[in-house]
Amino acid sequence: MITVQHLTRRFGPRLAVDDVSFHLERGEVVGFLGPNGAGKTTTMRVLTGFLPPSAGTVEVGGHDVLRDSLAVRERIGYLPESVPLYREHRVQEMLVFQGRLRGLARAEAKRRAGLVLERVGLSERARSLIGRLSKGQRQRVGLAVALLPDPEVLVLDEPTSGLDPLQRIEVRRLIQELARERTVLLSSHILPEIEAVCPRVIILQRGRLAADGTQTELLARLGGGNFVRLELAAGPDGATPDAAALALVRARIAALPDVTSVEARGGEGDFAAFEVRGQGALAEGLGRLAQREGWAVRELSTQRPTLEGLFARIALELEPARPDPAQPEGSLEGAA
Amino acid sequence: MKGFGAIYRRELAGLFLAPLAWVLFFLVLLYQAYFFLLVLDTKGGEVNGSLAFVLGGGTPFWLLTLFLPPLLTMRMISEESRSGLLEFLLTAPVADAAVVSGKALAAATFLALVWASAFLFGALTALLGAPPDWGLVFAAWLGASLVSALFSALGLVSSALFSTPLLAAFMAILVNIALFALPFLARSWRGTGGAVLARALEYTDVLGHYQGSFLSGALDSAHCAFFLAWTAAALFLAVRVVESRRWLG
Repeated sequence: MITVQHLTRRFGPRLAVDDVSFHLERGEVVGFLGPNGAGKTTTMRVLTGFLPPSAGTVEVGGHDVLRDSLAVRERIGYLPESVPLYREHRVQEMLVFQGRLRGLARAEAKRRAGLVLERVGLSERARSLIGRLSKGQRQRVGLAVALLPDPEVLVLDEPTSGLDPLQRIEVRRLIQELARERTVLLSSHILPEIEAVCPRVIILQRGRLAADGTQTELLARLGGGNFVRLELAAGPDGATPDAAALALVRARIAALPDVTSVEARGGEGDFAAFEVRGQGALAEGLGRLAQREGWAVRELSTQRPTLEGLFARIALELEPARPDPAQPEGSLEGAA
Repeated sequence: MKGFGAIYRRELAGLFLAPLAWVLFFLVLLYQAYFFLLVLDTKGGEVNGSLAFVLGGGTPFWLLTLFLPPLLTMRMISEESRSGLLEFLLTAPVADAAVVSGKALAAATFLALVWASAFLFGALTALLGAPPDWGLVFAAWLGASLVSALFSALGLVSSALFSTPLLAAFMAILVNIALFALPFLARSWRGTGGAVLARALEYTDVLGHYQGSFLSGALDSAHCAFFLAWTAAALFLAVRVVESRRWLG
């Protein structure tokens, strides 16, 4: 549905988007992540035909954004970050205007306005002045405006920014609902949101594509998979265990068949903590081992790397995103 | 042009929903009525001359015409660019030209309504037993509206060029004054090339084209074309500026 190839966008000497390529299938829901200034908004503005690309091509539904801009714009419902609305107009008027802009007859525009207002839960505010609405309500009106022409593609730039947690949940639920029938590209820097809504994530960093893949793929690749945290009494009561005792425990753990690495993670009193990585049912193996050895276990838990941790590592450039030609799907491209 | 009608209607509604337009409307009505009565008094009740005076015959009209359109158009692009509404319009499936000309026509329509106050004055004098030459009033009104359309289009160019409404209005007023006054200056230039310059500037002589036809009650298509052509040129320029904003970002 959306094909972006080697997209580059300059503002004078500044490169806002640098050689970004990705592809969205029809019906896909993709989260656009990246720190502020990473190029998310610029990429969305190119997709929606607001800004022309400096280089590269962007196609939406088979239409080029430069050569066939109007056809592209007809297929996209766009909610810009600023949620542009005419504050002096009533909600209904704004929606009818959007319909008329798209060439709908007045009656049809009114009918659609009623439908989308019901969808975003604002039917009773149809006659309200937009300037009098709360931020959350305006955000939902913005969504209604984007939805009015019943577009195949929804591009939503930070749809929940500035909302309180309750409103955020509402908008998130709405987006999840919309995502069932449409291709959605959604940007946010609120990670739990992306985690909840988007199976696939594209991460931008300094205008470059830092990662692209499903959440599980990315986490497996970048976060190193799951690990098990094990905390146990390794020394005599109340005393800090000595190096020999620790080494012994480590050796026992490392001897398990599926374990690839064991790292000591400090301790407290007679307890010592370990991070164990490896394949398969690690926690079960460790549990049986502890039982055999008679260790007093205080904690045995499987830790999942979070998108948040991954995002922070990319944003802080701790994670050098490398190209991985062997794995085109869900591969890491960009800054290498 | 798809979307033109929707944008035109939205802009016109937007003008009337803002207090500025109503304040301007009311003040201009008072201003026009004051000068109409003043001239009517000094001319000893000559209705046609007085109506012509407030529709382009006198300085008060031109003062308004140079200042009013920039005030109406100053926010149309510069402020919408800041609020993001321009992004909304420019990502809608309509041509940039539809956006720009819809806005220009809305401003021109507002001014045409303001100038239509002359019909009211005429109707009043007709009630009092001195009917005006309606053909003359109509021609003068049409001329005034065409001049307003031209200055509105120029105001939009300025609004597209500058990022703050105030600066846009200021620059548009300067341009309007220059366009208005240059032919005078050229005619009074005594040095070499003065004659050539004056000839050249005839092609931009707003006042000459206006007073030469509309005020005499003659609807001359050449003079209408003069205003329409310059308005179209200004609109074209405004569209280009909006387009270049996309490239510059």
